[in-house]
Amino acid sequence: MARASLTITDLPSISTVEILEMAIAALWTNKLRTALTMLGVIIGITAVIAVTSVGQGVQSATAANLQGLGADILQVRAGSANSGNVRQGSGSATTLTWSDAQAIASQVLAAETVTVYLTQNAQVVYAQNNTSITVLGTDTNYATVNNITLQSGRFFTEEELSAAQAVAVLGATVRDDLFGSSEAIGANIRIQGQRYSVLGVANEKGAQGRENPDEQIYVPLTNMSARLVGNNALKGIAVQGIAVKVTEQAQLEAADFQMTNLLRVRHDIHPARGDEDDFQIVSAADLVETLTSTVGLFTIMVVAIAGISLVVGGIGIANIMLVSVVERTREIGIRKAVGATNRAILSQFLAEAIAISAAGGVLGAGLGIAIAKVAATLFDFPFVISLWAIVFGVGLSFVIGMAAGVMPARSAAKLDPIIALRSD
Amino acid sequence: MTAMIWMEDICKTYRLGEMEVPILKGINLTIEEGDYVSIMGASGSGKSTLMNIMGCLDRPSSGHYVLEGRNLTTLNHEELAYIRNQRIGFVFQQFNLLSRSTALENVMLPMIYAGASRRQRQKQAAAALVRVGLGDRIGNRPNQLSGGQQQRVAIARALVNRPALILADEPTGALDTQTSGEVMALLSELNHQGITVLIVTHEPDIAAQTHRVIYVQDGLLQQDKNDNSS
Repeated sequence: MARASLTITDLPSISTVEILEMAIAALWTNKLRTALTMLGVIIGITAVIAVTSVGQGVQSATAANLQGLGADILQVRAGSANSGNVRQGSGSATTLTWSDAQAIASQVLAAETVTVYLTQNAQVVYAQNNTSITVLGTDTNYATVNNITLQSGRFFTEEELSAAQAVAVLGATVRDDLFGSSEAIGANIRIQGQRYSVLGVANEKGAQGRENPDEQIYVPLTNMSARLVGNNALKGIAVQGIAVKVTEQAQLEAADFQMTNLLRVRHDIHPARGDEDDFQIVSAADLVETLTSTVGLFTIMVVAIAGISLVVGGIGIANIMLVSVVERTREIGIRKAVGATNRAILSQFLAEAIAISAAGGVLGAGLGIAIAKVAATLFDFPFVISLWAIVFGVGLSFVIGMAAGVMPARSAAKLDPIIALRSD
Repeated sequence: MTAMIWMEDICKTYRLGEMEVPILKGINLTIEEGDYVSIMGASGSGKSTLMNIMGCLDRPSSGHYVLEGRNLTTLNHEELAYIRNQRIGFVFQQFNLLSRSTALENVMLPMIYAGASRRQRQKQAAAALVRVGLGDRIGNRPNQLSGGQQQRVAIARALVNRPALILADEPTGALDTQTSGEVMALLSELNHQGITVLIVTHEPDIAAQTHRVIYVQDGLLQQDKNDNSS
């Protein structure tokens, strides 16, 4: 009688493609359940891709916008950065005056051109047309410092400024709103009931940060201070801000330092005594940095929330796979009886979990890209798609599927075929 | 003539909490290659456990089981799966077909685990279905087939990897008399073609159609029509 104990070598192994085909076939028979299970991962990955893409688009758009403000410009704003622990809106206090600006122009060497501004929302009327816009009182340097060019007419002169003449230069949009196709130069408009004569119309410039110069009217600061706003400074003419164009970009820091010292002397501020500055100096670069980091923080926050959705999605997959193993106990028994190894069963169930999750990841990535594209078109910022986010998103969905599938797949593989065959 | 199955002092004990319940108490059995055998016994006698051990679905607690000269007692799970896949075909009372798959897909299933190519699977599975008389039903799902037809699909699945042994557990238990006859005729024909066929049944009519009947009672072989090993 032959009783030799033979070892079996070269056990046949089932190919990955074969296992994937079986997994997809199994998922396909229960389409609704598969789709619902996928939803958690789809939502998570969509959010990750869409938010990172929109975040990057907005960042590059703001950066580009703020570059338009001029990299060689320092803005001095009235009001301290912090008053106690409460941050105040800059420009809310009336501590800066026109003579501060004149002092900077004459005493700070790095300052090439200095201008001031004072803004006020006002009702503007021409004939039957009437619009509410921002009136900006300034001096003759404003156009130079802010790169404003005129399409017709001229800016007001030093004489008109010192005489506080009622003259105005219109932004491109304001001109279109008030005059339509008729001639603006030389016409008289009413700002808060006061008559102003239109000298010039600026070229279109586009929105910059929060402000849109096309929707502004420029009038002499002297006139504005006297006729449109109540002057509440202790001495001289109060302004909201001073804009300083430096001689060259390398001088930004020197100018900042000199201006700070000059203004402290003029305002009688002694930091050694514990006084706080009643002004702040910022550059366009500072603004870009602040905005970029704000958007970045927001992006990280939303991605973190999307991460929670992914975890919940993974738990959903694990849950459904566990139910599926119980439902398919007999199938598992049949497969084992005809020769499926534990490993083949494990692979099949793991493949199902991964297929659900990875398919959800791919769908989510597609949906996220589509949403980012629509948002970019709708809100007019560059459509940036980061390959890194897509690879990360789809890779993550793969890992989630694997993690979610391990436990159910192991319980399927460990089923005793005899008991499995006996189940209903 | 070599023995298909050689069993020596096979015992199987289940543990129910603290209690040990002996199911098989020392089975000695030899089944020759090409034989046509039925196993009879009351429910609870241990005949199903014996069949599960023969089919490598279960392992004995002690004793030796040699199939086709290969000692299976020492094999691991993967190796036993390979034996089930290559050497043994199962036929069950409840057919045990995958309900969402077609007849052809059901018959192809063992070949997937054998690592056969798609083309080879389709060819061989279709041939097996022709062999059981269902060549025109390969695209039907189990719910589109009668009980007798489903059992024939199951037999085709048992055949497809060219096993040496077919184990049928109450193969006619869920069928009417006429279809029972057809299924038995098919099993008998397969036996004529050289496959060792073993049927577990409680119906004397079915047992009478086989060449040898083994009776199991209380975990022991009681009586054997033409065997003297017990």
